Amino acid sequence: MRVIKIGAAWCNGCLVMKPRWQELEKEYSWLKTEYYDFDSDADKIKVYEITSGVLPVFIFLDRQGKELLRLSGEIEKKELVKYIEKFKNS
Amino acid sequence: MMKAIAVFICSTVLVLFGTMPVQAADVQLHFFWSEGCPHCAKEKVFLDALDKKYDEVTVQDYEVGHHSENIALLQKIGDTLRADISGVPFLVVGKSYVVGFLSDETTGKEIEQKVVYAIQNDIPDILTTIDSDKENKDEVIGEMTIPETLELPLIGQISVQHTSLPLLTFLLAFIDGFNPCAMWTLIFLISLLLGMKDQKRMWMLGITFIVTSAAVYFLFLSAWLNLFLVLGVVMWVRFIIGGVALFAGWYFLRDYYVNRNGGCSVMGDTKRQKFIEKMRMITQKSSLFLSVIGIMFLAVAVNMIELVCSAGLPAVYTKILSMSSLQPWQYYMYLFMYMLIFMADDLVIFITAMVTMKAVGIQSKYSRISHLVGGIVMIVIGILLICKPELLMFG
Repeated sequence: MRVIKIGAAWCNGCLVMKPRWQELEKEYSWLKTEYYDFDSDADKIKVYEITSGVLPVFIFLDRQGKELLRLSGEIEKKELVKYIEKFKNS
Repeated sequence: MMKAIAVFICSTVLVLFGTMPVQAADVQLHFFWSEGCPHCAKEKVFLDALDKKYDEVTVQDYEVGHHSENIALLQKIGDTLRADISGVPFLVVGKSYVVGFLSDETTGKEIEQKVVYAIQNDIPDILTTIDSDKENKDEVIGEMTIPETLELPLIGQISVQHTSLPLLTFLLAFIDGFNPCAMWTLIFLISLLLGMKDQKRMWMLGITFIVTSAAVYFLFLSAWLNLFLVLGVVMWVRFIIGGVALFAGWYFLRDYYVNRNGGCSVMGDTKRQKFIEKMRMITQKSSLFLSVIGIMFLAVAVNMIELVCSAGLPAVYTKILSMSSLQPWQYYMYLFMYMLIFMADDLVIFITAMVTMKAVGIQSKYSRISHLVGGIVMIVIGILLICKPELLMFG
């Protein structure tokens, strides 16, 4: 499983989520995450079709790249832990 | 025969001239006006002349733009006469009234006719009617009056009159500060500044942006305030602002309920992209002076564009302020206080980032709480503005 994180340099919620993910990435060293900027990586994130809604967006993908879950906004750490545990073997 | 003629002539003289002083009564003219109102100024000149022309006439004038007690009196008179008091000048002659003033020949003539009628017919003054009504009402609603002081635990006795306006200023400015409309620009600027090595440049550009934004906001608040002071007692303005407060209250409560996870809307990113590019360009200029000037222009531009987004709370606050009887310097002191509190969260974010060299965000749960409190406060204010404006008249 890997997590695609999409945020922006102007987004308050993205700043709030940054330390939460840093903690998780330390605690789950096997967890693969990739960060894309909404403005500068516009071409790379086209495939995820983020045209409305709110940032940050977190997309959980399985080994084959199939989308398992999409979360957006400020998510509590315990909720992220719940989904990481749930999908860790996917 | 001669005796009869003499009696007739004497009687006629007495009827024609002798009755005048006997029937003539003092007539109080109640003139409601507002500063900056050109028609009021014209009517004032006319009334001064009328005052000199008729000994029986006394003109009482009441300025309604800065004196809440005069607005309250006008409202009572409006209720008694069932008159539309949505505009000034408003003149009460006996039990009739004249709204507006065109010229001495038109409205002036109408006023003079009413004055002559009041002198000749001993029409009672409107205030005597209102005072007797007030006495009767006071007996009934005596228990509903607001206490002048409140005893609070730990704090002790506070004056409701002198504490309410600062408290309201703090509350509304604090809620307004969480408005995310222009916040994204500061956050992006911080992210650019953190990439620089030059500490002096970082502080200069950041502080320039915040101070310029504050100045734009202060001018914006002043413009609202002056608009409301000029419009004075116009009733429909109060109703519209009451409506704005109710809408803002609904919007805040809806946002509290719907936007549980916070986050930043990705809508309108074309406008944002342009600003981002300009900001990159400005901060990378080799001359610090040019960067500072560029940041000032950018802060003005972004705040002007976002003004529409953040118009609700300042409009409601300045309307309440305009209804309070304050000295001109006190109005601006309150605006300054509002602006400082409004900018406080921006300053906290900026200083924290500069000291820790890390960009930090404010968790959405705090803005959600501010929306919940703000929603309730705005709905209460909206209802009071429409139904009980006198409860929002401070000072």
